[in-house]
Amino acid sequence: MIRIIIFALLSALFFACSDDENAPLVKPVATGELSLTFDARVGNTDFALDKDFTIGSQTVSFTKLRYWVSNMVLVDTKGTEYMVPDSYFLMEEVGELDLSGTINDKLIYPANKREMITLKGIPAGEYKSVKFSIGVDARHNDNLSLRAGELSIANGMSSIVWMWHSSYIFSSLAGSVKQGSETKTFKAETGLNANYKSMTIDFAAPVNSATAKGVVLLVDVAKILNGIDLIKNSTINAATAPLMSAVATNQATKAIAFGSTVQ
Amino acid sequence: MMVCIRKIAILLLALALNACDKPGLAPKNEPYRFVIPAHFPKPAFDTGNPASRAGVQLGRMLFYDTRLSADNQVSCASCHDPKLAFSDGVKLSDAGVSATALLRNSPALFNMAWANNGLFWDGGATNLESQAFAPLTAHDEMAQDLDQLVMELNAAPAYVSGFQQAFNEPVSAQNVAKALSQFQRSLISADSKYDRYRLNSHGESLTVDELKGQALVRQKCQSCRAGELFTDQSFHNNGINSDFSNTQHEGIIQGRYRITYEPADLGKFKTPSLRNLAFTAPYMHDGRFDTLDEVVRHYSNDIKGSTTLSSHLPKEGFGFSQLEKKQIIAFLHTLNDYSFTENPNHQKLANH
Repeated sequence: MIRIIIFALLSALFFACSDDENAPLVKPVATGELSLTFDARVGNTDFALDKDFTIGSQTVSFTKLRYWVSNMVLVDTKGTEYMVPDSYFLMEEVGELDLSGTINDKLIYPANKREMITLKGIPAGEYKSVKFSIGVDARHNDNLSLRAGELSIANGMSSIVWMWHSSYIFSSLAGSVKQGSETKTFKAETGLNANYKSMTIDFAAPVNSATAKGVVLLVDVAKILNGIDLIKNSTINAATAPLMSAVATNQATKAIAFGSTVQ
Repeated sequence: MMVCIRKIAILLLALALNACDKPGLAPKNEPYRFVIPAHFPKPAFDTGNPASRAGVQLGRMLFYDTRLSADNQVSCASCHDPKLAFSDGVKLSDAGVSATALLRNSPALFNMAWANNGLFWDGGATNLESQAFAPLTAHDEMAQDLDQLVMELNAAPAYVSGFQQAFNEPVSAQNVAKALSQFQRSLISADSKYDRYRLNSHGESLTVDELKGQALVRQKCQSCRAGELFTDQSFHNNGINSDFSNTQHEGIIQGRYRITYEPADLGKFKTPSLRNLAFTAPYMHDGRFDTLDEVVRHYSNDIKGSTTLSSHLPKEGFGFSQLEKKQIIAFLHTLNDYSFTENPNHQKLANH
């Protein structure tokens, strides 16, 4: 009897830990590099900070665009999935950020523009689509002591004070908006597990990882704000749950599309 | 036979808590023998932080170390004193770096391995590992610069080796949180008069009043003060306020609402355990009641109504008689665990 219990428990133990979430699903045969670029735009124009864009009837100038891209999976033409290990990437276009008083008395985050992720050790293959999520999965979002990829509580993309849930900020968009004679600064942040959104982007044609350099995805920031009146709703965060959810849904369902293959 | 199975179960559990450690160069780090009291449920937490003896010991060193604060004057124990079941005995502490009063009463720390439904009075942190960063960095608590903390700990050889032993990694803010969590989960309180009575040990018995009080508590309070932990780990509006319109201080009096933004959560706060109440006065999230008499009077006669008032509470209160109040308090006092507050394994290390 005891033996059966021990055996059952032991096998449960070994089974429980064999599921390493970061392990590739297929063993790489030959590996290569593939870049994935999240090209931020406003409509057909390249995104830039401190530049006036017309979105609907409003003129918007951005000071910040930041979001987590996570849990990336490449899918080949046979449907085999390659899970990119440790894939937590902070995409951003920001001027210098003063993060003093978050985890540090004086902390200046340098201006940065980052649109490209370089995936290394990709198994050779013909890939037809990429899956990823915007935000941070519940396991990591709920536990700030877990380290993976670029996750950090030190870059202003987490909320460790008493504000809301101790967790990551999934996306953050800020700037000023003008309509007629009225001008307002705005900040739209998303977060919380319910707003962790996954998506699949199909490539126009299969991408051979051995010959192609990478893939460009287009991120239309205007579509992230689709249906959102920034003059009326200049602060969007957990306290405005429906708006926050709308922004997160926009980004996952409307804003990101396949652009081109870089040969 | 039963004893044997129990031993095996403990051993395997210890193994399980440590089983997901990465293999490799780790120095031999014994798993922490986490002994579950016989009448307690199995603790359920999965935070990627299996407890080891070295980790618990490291957490214990950190817990009492004032280096964790900006001015090196405040440790976790400044507000969580082991002699007071890791609470602080004051209404709203001003022990933080800013020396200004906090907005909420310091919660006691015991049986944290079962606290798997959010920490803080509003449940804003999912687990201890995330919770630690708030008091560490809050300006009115430890106000610590986390990079500075890592530098200071790296200057202490005991920590350099302690982190290496516990995590096979150098000092990091994340591992500070993990070690503190491991220590806090080791703080088990299950040796009160009630526990001895419950487990038929040492021939313990309860008096007639205590037994009557137990029956009343089980009958009237059990829906929230559930099971042997005497808490359902959930959030309730217990009728101490009726107006939650004040949004000052990021909605601190709005309770769980400030986390979920669900109107149904207005005025809901975490259920503290009924254990160790002799040590954890004053009571409620704002420390408004100094004595258990006041607390029982509240539930008996002073419930304030509102739309989110717990459905377990009658609007007019329970209307306890004087005798019933006395009996309830008599029973509550059987839940005080004096061996817990004196437990040498939880105290500050002498040589540190």
